[in-house]
Amino acid sequence: MLVEVWGEGSSWEEMRAAVEACPEELKAPWLGPDFSFRVVVESYGRSLTMEEQLELITALEFIPFQGAVRLRDPQLRFVLIVCDCNDNPSLVDARLPTRYYFGRVVGSCDRTLLDAYTLKRRAYLGPTSMDTEMAFIMANMAKVRRGSFMFDPYAGTGSILVAAAVYGAKVLGGDIDIKVIREGKVGPGGQRLTIRSNFQQYGLPQPVDLIRMDAHRHPLRPGLQEVLHCIIGDPPYGVRAGGKKSGARPEVAARRPNPGDRATYIPATQPYTLGECLRDLLELAAQLLVPGGRLVYFLPATPDTYDPATEVPAHPALELVANSEQILTSRYSRRLVTMEKVRSYDAAAAAAFYAAHPDPTLAIDRLHDIVYEPSPTGEAGAAGGEPGSEGGQEGAAKPRRRCRGKNF
Amino acid sequence: MLSCHIKGVRNGYPFIIEVGKLAEHEADFDADFLKHIFPRINWPAFLQGAQAMNCREGLPEEATEALLEDEGFQKTFHHALLEVELEEGALVCPETGRKFPVAKGIPNMLLNEDEC
Repeated sequence: MLVEVWGEGSSWEEMRAAVEACPEELKAPWLGPDFSFRVVVESYGRSLTMEEQLELITALEFIPFQGAVRLRDPQLRFVLIVCDCNDNPSLVDARLPTRYYFGRVVGSCDRTLLDAYTLKRRAYLGPTSMDTEMAFIMANMAKVRRGSFMFDPYAGTGSILVAAAVYGAKVLGGDIDIKVIREGKVGPGGQRLTIRSNFQQYGLPQPVDLIRMDAHRHPLRPGLQEVLHCIIGDPPYGVRAGGKKSGARPEVAARRPNPGDRATYIPATQPYTLGECLRDLLELAAQLLVPGGRLVYFLPATPDTYDPATEVPAHPALELVANSEQILTSRYSRRLVTMEKVRSYDAAAAAAFYAAHPDPTLAIDRLHDIVYEPSPTGEAGAAGGEPGSEGGQEGAAKPRRRCRGKNF
Repeated sequence: MLSCHIKGVRNGYPFIIEVGKLAEHEADFDADFLKHIFPRINWPAFLQGAQAMNCREGLPEEATEALLEDEGFQKTFHHALLEVELEEGALVCPETGRKFPVAKGIPNMLLNEDEC
């Protein structure tokens, strides 16, 4: 929401004084009898009851509104923002000081998309399906528009593909897990549900292609360059779904059977560290994005140890545009990283860069240990997430935390 | 756009398409997308694929960007590029003969551990 702020303050009185002091020429054009209007109250830090909201709106009568109040389709919308984090110990986010804002809404986003594409009614879902709102935010950060060619190398159940397709992109999905990308699951009526079912459900044009592939050893033609407008993905990092790449772990390699029939042989996979995974992702972006194309992905971080200087991977062809934190628990957050391709791909420059910057092994590769480590006070494990996960003893008191991501 | 990525393979492109079953579905027509993708396509490889997928008809032996102004060409190109899909079959590496199976429309491009 974009707001023309007429006044703000750390108390109601201060805000009122500021609104009254706000120049008449700014306010008068919007207060005349010709405009219908409504006032909405947005609160942060605590929720306000209907009565409390009405009380606040009534208290705004010091503003000489002359237009008619219309709750449905008003011509103008005003907003009162109340930020009050007191008495709310459960917030782990930055605790903002108490503040009141009043102003005229200049523009706001179309939130009806969120209900239309809510995961609650989506046919095919998995435990790590990207939250609808976040998927749309990712698509916006990647500047997806009609005709964009978009690729998600970790497509999973295709939530990000759906968001990009809603904005008119032609989408391409890859995933290493054949169960997720090809087999899907069986729906309540016995029908097979896959990514394609979701596209069908929403009447969206089907993905250009879905490929079972390994982002580490990808099958895209060598030398293929500057073909994608955006790459958006949620790389596998080991809290829920750990990373996997082709090849057998050294300790099982000797025991693996000889691949007889290649059509049915089940290839081994081995763990894939996040540092390696992100290097592959950035390399893929550097080669395949058009100049000005964007890479948008999630980087897990542990706020206590996070260091932007060493943890956000870089590439000579890409420039960081944004790096925004989403807090998930008190010791775990993820950062939405947006990069733009600013230079054409130069293999020699990339090789020189990698020689100077070895694969980072970071706190993020110990993410699982950090997140599930019992807290030092001897309270229950900090897990509390999935039942049956290590450390999550039955009946143990859940630690205080606030989860804003639905898909943690 | 895919090629055989087995370690050591040099001429893994283009794949020979082995058709078991084809599927057709309507795709959103978008001339800008076609203009974007056209120069990135290896035309002889595309023709070979279209031939195997039974949608070669109407596609010229050689194509230049000027053709993209022609509506008839746009339609044929759009159809061959986006609307015909290999539902069952395989992508066969021209060098090694390794088959990457395609089932339920999804090519399985994962390598076995001895190929990485």
